[in-house]
Amino acid sequence: MIKDITIGQYFPGNSIVHKMDPRMKLILTFVYIIVIFVCKNFYSLGVMVIALVIMVLLSKIPVKTILKSVKPIFIIILFTAILNVLYTKTGTIIFEWKFIHISTGGIYTAIFMVIRIVSLVVASSLLTYTTSPTLITDAIERLLSPLKFMRNSIHTIAMMMTIALRFIPTLIEEFDKITSAQKARGADLETGTLVERAKALIPIFIPLFITSFRRAYELAYAMECRCYHGAEGRTRMKQMSYSVRDFAGFVFMVLVTAGVVSLNFVFPHLI
Amino acid sequence: MEEILRFDNVSFSYDEITEDKAKTEYAVKNVSLSIKKGEYIAILGHNGSGKSTLAKLSNAILMPDEGTVYVEGIPTFVVGETEEVELERTMKIRQHVGMVFQNPDNQIVATIVEEDVAFGPENLGVDPIEIRKRVDESLKAVGMYEYRGHEPHKLSGGQKQRVAIAGILAMQPDCLVLDESTAMLDPRGRREVMNTVRKLHDELSMTVVFITHFMDEAVTADRVVVMDEGSVIMDGTPREVFSNPEKLRSVGLDVPQATEFSNELSKIGLLMPNDILNADECVTSLSTLLEE
Repeated sequence: MIKDITIGQYFPGNSIVHKMDPRMKLILTFVYIIVIFVCKNFYSLGVMVIALVIMVLLSKIPVKTILKSVKPIFIIILFTAILNVLYTKTGTIIFEWKFIHISTGGIYTAIFMVIRIVSLVVASSLLTYTTSPTLITDAIERLLSPLKFMRNSIHTIAMMMTIALRFIPTLIEEFDKITSAQKARGADLETGTLVERAKALIPIFIPLFITSFRRAYELAYAMECRCYHGAEGRTRMKQMSYSVRDFAGFVFMVLVTAGVVSLNFVFPHLI
Repeated sequence: MEEILRFDNVSFSYDEITEDKAKTEYAVKNVSLSIKKGEYIAILGHNGSGKSTLAKLSNAILMPDEGTVYVEGIPTFVVGETEEVELERTMKIRQHVGMVFQNPDNQIVATIVEEDVAFGPENLGVDPIEIRKRVDESLKAVGMYEYRGHEPHKLSGGQKQRVAIAGILAMQPDCLVLDESTAMLDPRGRREVMNTVRKLHDELSMTVVFITHFMDEAVTADRVVVMDEGSVIMDGTPREVFSNPEKLRSVGLDVPQATEFSNELSKIGLLMPNDILNADECVTSLSTLLEE
């Protein structure tokens, strides 16, 4: 059931995007998200979409997989679109019935917002699809490492994130197992009112919590046995270094940003 | 032969030790044991016999309440040390004695197999190039090299446990302690782990301390130690230990099937030797008996 979620999942590969330094990918995704909010019209947004399509093609991730990442937020997109259509009253009105006014301006804004949200989700999915979660947390840790006074807490948070990511599938499996066990004993999870169904989840979550604590203890022992003692004196197997492709990506992003900003000036209106 | 682990009159209790020592419940009581380099030793005992506690005492996870545990001559507990000295000593001990636990899921830290194997040497501050080398070597030694890029949760129990063993090997320990590492596995996974451990012992002359309650796993060891209520009650070769089924049964343990079978045959008057350990030996002695 929950196993089907693809958001935040990593697809190993050998493409240029996969091989890019995770720190650079993180920065570029961050910049991309900011720039997409800077876009003021369809021309600059078009530049952003083209840039994204180029990155997706370079990553060699199947388009189907990319589209799947948009599926979970389909409702939100639809909702945003409808609200935008209904509440924007610019341009010529093309349809009117009682309190509903649909204008060309509204439709354009809705399309603009949808493209914006989809690009946002696809861009961040592209990061998680092409970078292993450990590398992402690792990159965050390294990017923040200049903040020396916080070094230990940054390491701790990065470690916690790694462990959380590592245990998500394990806990999902456990959840399924306990659910089956309770169903076998006659627990009814599918019928009844919302309150009843929520109550039926209690006998699933309590064992899940208890085993999680036990897991935490055992994992702590195992980590101690492997000489874990925090960030002090720790090295990393995978070294990160910027290469030509990272600079290429950086320059590409700079050009895209410049393009967006100048198109914003040239065409001050949405259309 | 050189000694790698020594328990000197070790006692340990999970409760507070009270004034009245007779009332304290000890998990391990007055254990003296010496383990030599290159030995393959099985520690047997039913639940609550203190065998897992003994394992945790061996690499400074638990500190003995009485007596001393020495790892390559280094005591695991020293009174009145500064924190840094203690950390350094503990690290050294844990590097010598690597431990693999029961549940493979609860000892894998990273989301990719090779990154998990690298976790130990990373903690030790090993040079990145050297870590890479060690990770590859360890994964090859347990036969999991092809899986280096996989996610651990997609592996089988036996494979996960082999990854856990590789993670310990990458720290280059002298001694491998397996704390019921086969208990949660299916027969196939159990065989995988047993074969891997046997290979490490034979090819890399790794000292192995194998804690288990499966008799058939203990048979292949060089030496078997039987524990009950926190004490060592038997210590010898598998042949010596399993030729005394009455004593084993009195502490809630069985003898291997082949041994049991030949014992039953002796009871009805057949002249079977009492030190049979596996099916092959059983067949050989039966066929000689039948020929006569």
